[in-house]
Amino acid sequence: MAVQQIMQIAPTDAGERIRHSDDAAKWWVGVSLFNVILFGVLGLIAAIKMVMPGLFDGVSWLSWARVRPAHVNGVVFGWLVPIAIGLFQYFIPRLSGTTLYSEKIPKISLVFWQIGVLIGTISLLNPWGGELEAGTLNPWLMTKGKEWEDYNVISNVFITIGLLGIDYNVFRTIAKRRYRQIYVATWYAVGMILWTSLVYVIGNWPGQQIDWTLHNYFGQDGLPHFGFTGSNDMNVNWFYGHSIVGLVATPGAIALAYYFLPKSINAPLYSHKLSIIGFWTLGAIYFWVGAHHMIYGPIPYWLQTVATVFSFLLFIPVAAAVINFLGTARGEWHQLRYNVPFKFFMAATVMYALVSSQGSFEALRPVQAVVHFTDYTIGHAHLALFGFATMFAFGAVIYAAPRMWRRPLYSEGMAEWSFWLAFIGITVYVLSLTVGGIYQGKLWMDYPHMPFIETVVKMTPFWHARAGGGLLMVLSMVLVAFNVYKTATTPAPVDEASTATPTLAAVAG
Amino acid sequence: MAKPKAEQSVLWLGIFASLTMIVALVFTAIFPAFNNRWSTNTQDGAEYFKTAKFDDKGAPNGGYTPLQEKGRLVYQREGCSYCHSQQIRPLKTEMIRYGIHTSPAPPADEREYIYDEPHFLGTKRNGPDLSRVAGKYSDDWQFSHLYNPQQMVPGSIMPAFKWLFSNANPADPSQTPVPSGECVALVAYLQTLGADRTVWDSKLNGGKGGYRPWLLPQDKQNSLQESQSAVNRAERPVHAPRM
Repeated sequence: MAVQQIMQIAPTDAGERIRHSDDAAKWWVGVSLFNVILFGVLGLIAAIKMVMPGLFDGVSWLSWARVRPAHVNGVVFGWLVPIAIGLFQYFIPRLSGTTLYSEKIPKISLVFWQIGVLIGTISLLNPWGGELEAGTLNPWLMTKGKEWEDYNVISNVFITIGLLGIDYNVFRTIAKRRYRQIYVATWYAVGMILWTSLVYVIGNWPGQQIDWTLHNYFGQDGLPHFGFTGSNDMNVNWFYGHSIVGLVATPGAIALAYYFLPKSINAPLYSHKLSIIGFWTLGAIYFWVGAHHMIYGPIPYWLQTVATVFSFLLFIPVAAAVINFLGTARGEWHQLRYNVPFKFFMAATVMYALVSSQGSFEALRPVQAVVHFTDYTIGHAHLALFGFATMFAFGAVIYAAPRMWRRPLYSEGMAEWSFWLAFIGITVYVLSLTVGGIYQGKLWMDYPHMPFIETVVKMTPFWHARAGGGLLMVLSMVLVAFNVYKTATTPAPVDEASTATPTLAAVAG
Repeated sequence: MAKPKAEQSVLWLGIFASLTMIVALVFTAIFPAFNNRWSTNTQDGAEYFKTAKFDDKGAPNGGYTPLQEKGRLVYQREGCSYCHSQQIRPLKTEMIRYGIHTSPAPPADEREYIYDEPHFLGTKRNGPDLSRVAGKYSDDWQFSHLYNPQQMVPGSIMPAFKWLFSNANPADPSQTPVPSGECVALVAYLQTLGADRTVWDSKLNGGKGGYRPWLLPQDKQNSLQESQSAVNRAERPVHAPRM
């Protein structure tokens, strides 16, 4: 059976000999690496402002609450999604035994996408004129004001166009594949772009903007209105918000892991069946857990309970992926000594297991009563989006860059440094905020008469440690980006065997 | 050629992947929305808001005056909701912390938010919850605090919103900063947060129960007097209102 299956999967003709140009992938990877530094630095500014609130005093567009959403949305829509899409365009043609359907469509999509991200960022920082240069108050031009939906409508339109272009191109590429079997990395990639497109359109519905226009320009009052209000708005917000983490960042990173982990250590995948179980349980369970962001909030009690139960069911897809990655690494652990992408992947796998268990337990009511509204959640989010998703992406980029540009990696030592900076940085970051978050939550819980400001002042040491961890994380981003940049721009070493016709002297010598 | 198995079809993959989302969307987002406490036009909501002054048509869906609605837009633009939640959880400690004097704050109710578009319920408290802040501080206290938070609350990490004031020249202490229209609107909105909150009191109407405002008049008066005396003071007064 096994042989038959392999015969079915194995290339029957010149599939492996296709020379992939990887142009689109290079564009997307390059722009994402620019974005990760830009939005990483914005995050660092926010972290420093927590301990130095006087920094950039009086500069409206660098106020903490404008920098923070720019960082949050930037790292997801400017870095995690584009890097995943970029590397999809590296591995989907290779897994399909064909070239990309079009190299031009993804490039145009990238232009739309990046314009969307920049417009969105500017709309959040909101430096435009207006009363006293404080920024515009037009809801079409400013933030939508809800977490993960913050980018304004113009930005949403640009990003959606980019997304549709990518969808079309990926589906056409897969449709003309020459290997019938769809490898699991492609499953996750298709799931990611499909789910991203679906939830993005639902989550960014401009209800407030339409109602505002009808009210201000057409004098329409009361019902019907086109937006969601109050608790209903929050419920839709978190259906979308958790999908961004669970069905955009997670399948993107897992798709990269399923392709690049076996590739980087040159070992077969542990279990195809397990990966399929993981994929379908991820899709079936993850959409249900959004309400765990509102435990004890003004939503129906049963909805909170459903979210908690499904949060625990999430152990199934997480265990499937983690067991699969560890099983794939079985017998190859000695490679940890020299294989930098493998280090990234293994650290990310462990952090995926940690962050998911943390998330499941966090959804329990007694735990949520203490840690909700504290920095514990911030540590959790960074463990997920940096420790898990970004670490997988870094490993994948370091593995793929030399192969895309067909040159040796610029510096193995620099890659090593970027790993340790990222690893130590995220560890410091998460530990300080986890301990600090529980501490502050317990203060709120046990001392209802303690003035709020005292619980803020007590958090200062933890925020110092967090800013330090954040600095290390930004440094690792800079090193990865610089390494890839130098890999791409350093002239290829002259390989006489392939470029020059072997002369008699060379053969003889 | 053999018929492709479902596992090998990208069409079925796409259909089933979309189905997983649609099923969850129906059960966790659409089905709960048919909840008569989340909407402005139900009997329950109308009854609840009978005591409050909500006939001004300032907001697209009513509920706020034009000034307060503008204040909501400033609140949205400045990202206040990233640091200040607007929901009291039904936990004893939270109701005490965000209460005023002898009145513990009533926990959040779905019906309070039916005019809020977008919602500002928030998920992080870098600063205190704001959903019961109305009446706790005077307008002057709010203006001073927005202009220089560290002066009013030593150790505060809130940004100073100097761009919401004109003549803001820190070098010249003789000049008093004047709050702009946006700032006035913002404070007008802040003073609605929980101001007309009603609570169910089972002792009313001879044991039959009924709604009454949660704030006792004397509590409101005391807290306003205290915050008024705290304006422009460099140090926090001993009896400063608790937050």
